[in-house]
Amino acid sequence: MNAAAVPQWQDPESVEAAPTRRLRPTVVLGEIPDGVWKGSELGSKVAETIPTGWPALDAQLPGGGWPCRSISEVLAPQPAVIEWRLLGGAMRHVVTNGGQLVLVGPPKHPHLPGLMHDGADARQLIWVQAETPAERLWVTEQMIKSDAAGVIVAWLPQARQEQIRRLQVCALACQAPVFLCRPEAARHESSAAPLRVHATYHLDWELKVEIFKRRGPALETELRLPSIPGGLASILTPRLLEPSRLFKRMETVDAVGSSAPRRRSVQPLAVH
Amino acid sequence: MLWAALLPDVDPSSRLPSTDVLNGTATWALQYTPRVAVIEASAVALELSASTRLFGGKRQLVERIRNQAAELDLTAPSWAPTSLAALALARAGQTNGFSKPLDQVLDALPLDTLTAAKVHDATLSRLGCRTLGDVRALPRGGLSRRFDAQLLTALDQAYGLRPESHAWVQLPDRFAQRLELMSRVEMAPALLFGARRLLLQMCGWLAARRSGTTAFTLRWCHDVMRSKTAGDGGELTIRTAEATRNIEHLSRLLAEHLAKVELKAPVGDLELVADDVRALEETSSSLLPDPVQSGESLALVMERVAARLGPQRVLRPVLAADHRMEWMVHWRPAAEPPPRKSAPISGLPQPAFMLPQPLKLAARGDRPLYQGPLMLLSGPHRVEGGWWHRLPDDSGEQRSQTVIRDYWVALSEHAGVLWIFHTRLDNDRSAWFLQGVFA
Repeated sequence: MNAAAVPQWQDPESVEAAPTRRLRPTVVLGEIPDGVWKGSELGSKVAETIPTGWPALDAQLPGGGWPCRSISEVLAPQPAVIEWRLLGGAMRHVVTNGGQLVLVGPPKHPHLPGLMHDGADARQLIWVQAETPAERLWVTEQMIKSDAAGVIVAWLPQARQEQIRRLQVCALACQAPVFLCRPEAARHESSAAPLRVHATYHLDWELKVEIFKRRGPALETELRLPSIPGGLASILTPRLLEPSRLFKRMETVDAVGSSAPRRRSVQPLAVH
Repeated sequence: MLWAALLPDVDPSSRLPSTDVLNGTATWALQYTPRVAVIEASAVALELSASTRLFGGKRQLVERIRNQAAELDLTAPSWAPTSLAALALARAGQTNGFSKPLDQVLDALPLDTLTAAKVHDATLSRLGCRTLGDVRALPRGGLSRRFDAQLLTALDQAYGLRPESHAWVQLPDRFAQRLELMSRVEMAPALLFGARRLLLQMCGWLAARRSGTTAFTLRWCHDVMRSKTAGDGGELTIRTAEATRNIEHLSRLLAEHLAKVELKAPVGDLELVADDVRALEETSSSLLPDPVQSGESLALVMERVAARLGPQRVLRPVLAADHRMEWMVHWRPAAEPPPRKSAPISGLPQPAFMLPQPLKLAARGDRPLYQGPLMLLSGPHRVEGGWWHRLPDDSGEQRSQTVIRDYWVALSEHAGVLWIFHTRLDNDRSAWFLQGVFA
């Protein structure tokens, strides 16, 4: 150790500065210092998140994405209608980082060629056919406890509050995001999941997402996120980008109004 | 020197523990140190001074051995600087020989804790000796003349004045241990209690050999009082995908398998054999832990899930080159190795959910209905093929899997974007079917 590194105790500047130091900072009225949490802000920082694929949705979620180390509930009026459209971004992110995608008890058979449009890979997909509610819960808990999967999507239509709470406690130690797909009726029950989302789809290739529980103030408005599933983007003509207008016409002109069925009636099936 | 002595339960008939128990305990103890000896055919002694650093210090090692010994249903080990002292403490029911200097600890022990002194119990007690300390206080010359040489040797060895020599236990090449159950077991899941003890011994054996197992067999022998049809016993072989010696994983797997076993008669004996043993690469205990290694691997969990649900319900997809939607993907049990080559990816739009069977849709006019009228967005996409593909149906007849279908993307107000097809039926009619959902 050389002599220059030894602090000089008789430093004249520090001796002068000491009496002028204020011990207690004064708060000016109407001005809130940094570090004080305001009620309008999003809640406590979620450390790890996975981007959803939509900046508009990311901005509304605490931490900027789907939270890891916790459970997120996705409620939908019908099962197997919007799941991949909503979770596709997270799935793509996990799969490109080498994580495994585990599906527990999906209501219909997953179809890999369609899932590949959302970034899934044959080597990184596992489908667990759990049928009874007890099996679904057991498999989900085992997957969460092992912390080996990249993302876990479980369909738990009949889960009770205490079961969700148990899963949430387990999920605190799990690095992967856990999504529970549940029916719309579960909205009126309380749940331990820190993030609860209600999603429906709109005819014009949009998802309507309502975040009715999150860490922070409830979001009153409904988010509208563009989403075209399963590689359909490449075959949609500009006219088909707004199917709701076609639907209206179909209803007013009755059965023959839409152009698509008319084409179908021309196309002969008896040719072969 | 750091000696631990373990006293297994004794057989009431011979007043000595059975050889199986001693061997099993010694095999289990070999994972901590190569210096394991069976003393006087009644106790297992371990010399651990060289292993303390490997197991994270003396305190942790003592804790670990005590916990595992409790699982093996052994009494807590006694610790002392010499093996005979440790044994004497164990017989006296004390565990710590390091609390005071060794001579003070030993002096207070009764005579029957040392076998060499126990032989002369009658004579010594007539001399007024009650404890080892009393014997040691007698003059050495007289002691050696009046009693045999073993007494003085054993006393000196116990007090650490003379070196001890031991025949170390050799690690067996093959693991096969038997266990006689305390009582007759009638339900298969209850076998796990005894089997776990054997598993602990096997894991100790594997740890001593630095290897893991991929297959082990649990055999059970039926009790003598059994019906004629029951047979001698049964066995259960359990295989794992990766070599492991993780006791928790192995006993969970065994529990899942035992839950499906039905015993034909009460069981009296168990035997555990390690069938397939492979060298195991140990994870390094580095300063910065690897985040990927924190949990157990996915294969282990899937194995456990498959053990409960059945392997045909934990599936991985394999792509096939086919245009028919049902045959595009084969779902295989996740434990099977993936194929080396996968089929090329078409990139055409496909739904993400498929119905197990196409659902016939009602129609109004020639317009399909599913939760309200459907709007056909795009199509037709003609898929025609499969005449080469024949499968036997329920009645055993070969049936061609030909499909001639016009697929459409349909939009429903409530049910989302659907993948439906239009096909001819037998009697010159045609119908709409729903087969997938773009979810």
